[in-house]
Amino acid sequence: MANTIDPQWAWAPYLPTAEAPWDLKKVGHLYRRLSFGATWRELEAGVQTGLEKTIDALFKGGDSQEQFELESVTAELKESIREANNGRQASAYWLFRMLYSPHPVEEKFTLFWHNHFATSNAKVLNAGFMLRQYDLMHRYCLSSFRAMLREMSTDPAMMVWLDTRLSKKGMPNENYARELMELFSLGIGNYTEKDIREAARAFTGWEIRDQQPFFNSEQHDAGEKTVLGQTGNWKGEDILRICLEQKSAPFFIVRKLFRFLISETIPASQDLLRPLAEQFRKSDFDIGALVRTMVRSNLFFAPAAYRTRVKAPVDFILGIVRALEGRVGTTALAQAMEELGQNLFFPPSVKGWDGGQAWLNGQTILFRQNLALAFTSTEDARFGRRTDPAALVQKYTKDGETDAVEFFLRLFLQDDLPAESRAKLSQYVQKAQKQNYPVYWTQKDAADQRLRALCHLVLTLPEFQLD
Amino acid sequence: MNFSRRDFLRTSLAGGSLVSLGGTVPAFLSRTAAAAPAAAIPGAKDSILVVVELTGGNDGLNTVIPFKDAEYEKLRPNLKIPSSQVKKINDQVGLHPAMEALAKLLDDSALCVVQGVGYPNPSQSHFRSMDIWQAASTEQSFVEGWLGKALKKLPNPPSFHLAGSNSVSPLALAGAPHRVPTINTLEDFQLRITALSGADKQEQREFIEGVVKKEAGDGNLLDFVQRTASNTYASSRRLQEIGKNYQPKVPYPPSTLANHLKLAAQLIDADIGTRIFYMSIEGFDTHANQLATHANLLRQLSEAMAAFFKDMAERGQKDRILMMTFSEFGRRAAENGSRGTDHGSAAPMLLVGGKVKSGVVGEHPSLTQLELGNLKHGIDFRQVYAAILDQWLGVPSKEVLGKAFEPAAVLQS
Repeated sequence: MANTIDPQWAWAPYLPTAEAPWDLKKVGHLYRRLSFGATWRELEAGVQTGLEKTIDALFKGGDSQEQFELESVTAELKESIREANNGRQASAYWLFRMLYSPHPVEEKFTLFWHNHFATSNAKVLNAGFMLRQYDLMHRYCLSSFRAMLREMSTDPAMMVWLDTRLSKKGMPNENYARELMELFSLGIGNYTEKDIREAARAFTGWEIRDQQPFFNSEQHDAGEKTVLGQTGNWKGEDILRICLEQKSAPFFIVRKLFRFLISETIPASQDLLRPLAEQFRKSDFDIGALVRTMVRSNLFFAPAAYRTRVKAPVDFILGIVRALEGRVGTTALAQAMEELGQNLFFPPSVKGWDGGQAWLNGQTILFRQNLALAFTSTEDARFGRRTDPAALVQKYTKDGETDAVEFFLRLFLQDDLPAESRAKLSQYVQKAQKQNYPVYWTQKDAADQRLRALCHLVLTLPEFQLD
Repeated sequence: MNFSRRDFLRTSLAGGSLVSLGGTVPAFLSRTAAAAPAAAIPGAKDSILVVVELTGGNDGLNTVIPFKDAEYEKLRPNLKIPSSQVKKINDQVGLHPAMEALAKLLDDSALCVVQGVGYPNPSQSHFRSMDIWQAASTEQSFVEGWLGKALKKLPNPPSFHLAGSNSVSPLALAGAPHRVPTINTLEDFQLRITALSGADKQEQREFIEGVVKKEAGDGNLLDFVQRTASNTYASSRRLQEIGKNYQPKVPYPPSTLANHLKLAAQLIDADIGTRIFYMSIEGFDTHANQLATHANLLRQLSEAMAAFFKDMAERGQKDRILMMTFSEFGRRAAENGSRGTDHGSAAPMLLVGGKVKSGVVGEHPSLTQLELGNLKHGIDFRQVYAAILDQWLGVPSKEVLGKAFEPAAVLQS
């Protein structure tokens, strides 16, 4: 089926038509893929402003970006994490940025690269190094892959994570050279064991001195190496250049971005990816231009790609918090992220999180549903009434409870659910209205309680697990 | 704890909700008690397999140490374990000193050390090699694992992946007729609902469980979510009924692996017919400064496995259990320049249980005849799987492994 997708059509810009109009569903889709979900205002504004302006605004980011960086809470938090070497707080710091930064798209793509250059503080044990690596990825997240790859090779967190700091002339450590080829640039099958061993020699001599990368030429193996068919007295940077000259390199990155941005279920054939890989190579690995082509495309907005990703924990959690317009502390969210299986700065391995269906197993499904309850019930010690669905209904609907089913379904699901589930929700509300409430409750107390339960039920719908 | 498997199955059927669960219900909830696992093959009745994955590539050469071989010290100038400290199994090889607890199981005839296990043309990629071990195949790509395939041949008994949220469901279990649930703790494995009354709670629960029971079209992503959720809710509801006050007969050490083994013991004690448990211990990718890290990991592994065996033995269950360790590969014979070891190939597997052939099976790989600096395998891992499938689980190994492998002599005949 997917083989029939015409690459030319796929990557041509999408233009709204009568059959495929620009509507609430498409705004929701755009915000899920490019950001961390939309608020009610963003959904409504997106429909009104139209496709071009909405996309442009997302890539540009909101006002006051500089101010956000300088804001006391951002800067102070960062400094205290460095000083206390608090890896857990680093995760809370990033979640804070994802939630409150005027430019969430950059945070989303920084996360993509964190999953690509997956480095864990479980081994690095240095929160300052982790934040420095975060800054590196944030700097290049939508610009030059070549520059990011180069700086990453001497990034202190990476040098600890894959042992380059200990790799010495005569007895090289292969860890970094292997993952550079297998996971960072080429993919398995596009190099040999010999390439790895030779490349490892080229990366010898790098150390960390005074918290900075330091090239110790005494420990560098300056001899001749043959890597991927090229022979010379290569240094690390030469290996990176050679890797990016391989045909497989642009395909490898584009394939990963395809799964992240377009779909986990559409098979990404070489033919389908070729135009993107060509663009990426010709642009000297300009990530931003590539991502824009992909997001602007027919395939991005096609039914075939719609709701074909399993929500990552970050999208599940932040999607709910954003939609409920909660001002919550992110330390509790960091804990929740860990329960759902996406502990930022602590990926399970150098391959990162597998994502997709792997996000959902017995335990994590229950954690998701129970977390949805914690957000919506207002009885949870971590979130209290800061993410109260009843308050949201009051803010945005005329008739409160009567409109609530419709409102929640549009806000969280843009109506993507079977009629049968919708009917069951309404039935639940009707039955609940006949309940006996404590005599000391006001009518509003009772209605609010029903709205919270209703919102929880909406969030437990299987359709909500898909992006 | 008097809640038997029969009771479990009976209560499972009592609610009547199973009919509507249709094809998504795990067999252990819908099958009648009469069909409880009782494989016709000798030795396979009610047997339990506990797989322990050593993630990252365990340094086999410092796990089962050829302390008599002069080459060993040459290959490992900084990382060698002095022969005086090795827990000797025979006059040639012994276990790492941190594995004292496991070594003591030799006195109970309950430890089998399979030496030099691997496969031809070994991959040194963590992920590729792990897939090969879990799929028991060297094909280019796979969708099913060896245990998932085995579960298809069994009367679909309950099986569990015991793990924290950071580990994904292993490929080894893929392909099972019903998705094997991942559980961290029983306490967390429940659906919470806030309600004013029991009736309201029931309404909400019925909604949540009802919306995942529809057929969503075979194979699409929504169908996957619904099946996984439906399975989970059903398993969770039943598991809440089993005893929470499990008292181990022996103390378990404080480690994640030990906690998961203790949970396995609890689930075995609940007698719900579980046949396969899968769990892992990570951190074996010791490229640098490995001595202390590796010793610590082996100690955790050894103490947790020994505690589980003793707990089972005290309950008279030791002959029903078989624990098996494996890692995606061993490590390079020679140490590297950072007091660590790079990726290698052949390594030992450890089997623990009342019915293992205790002692050493297979030859220790030669330390002089290396392949690209790596130890050569003498036993294909699928020979060990074949023994476990044919002689322990009662599943024809050929049907799982795709061809006949001569079973390794790891179990008592």
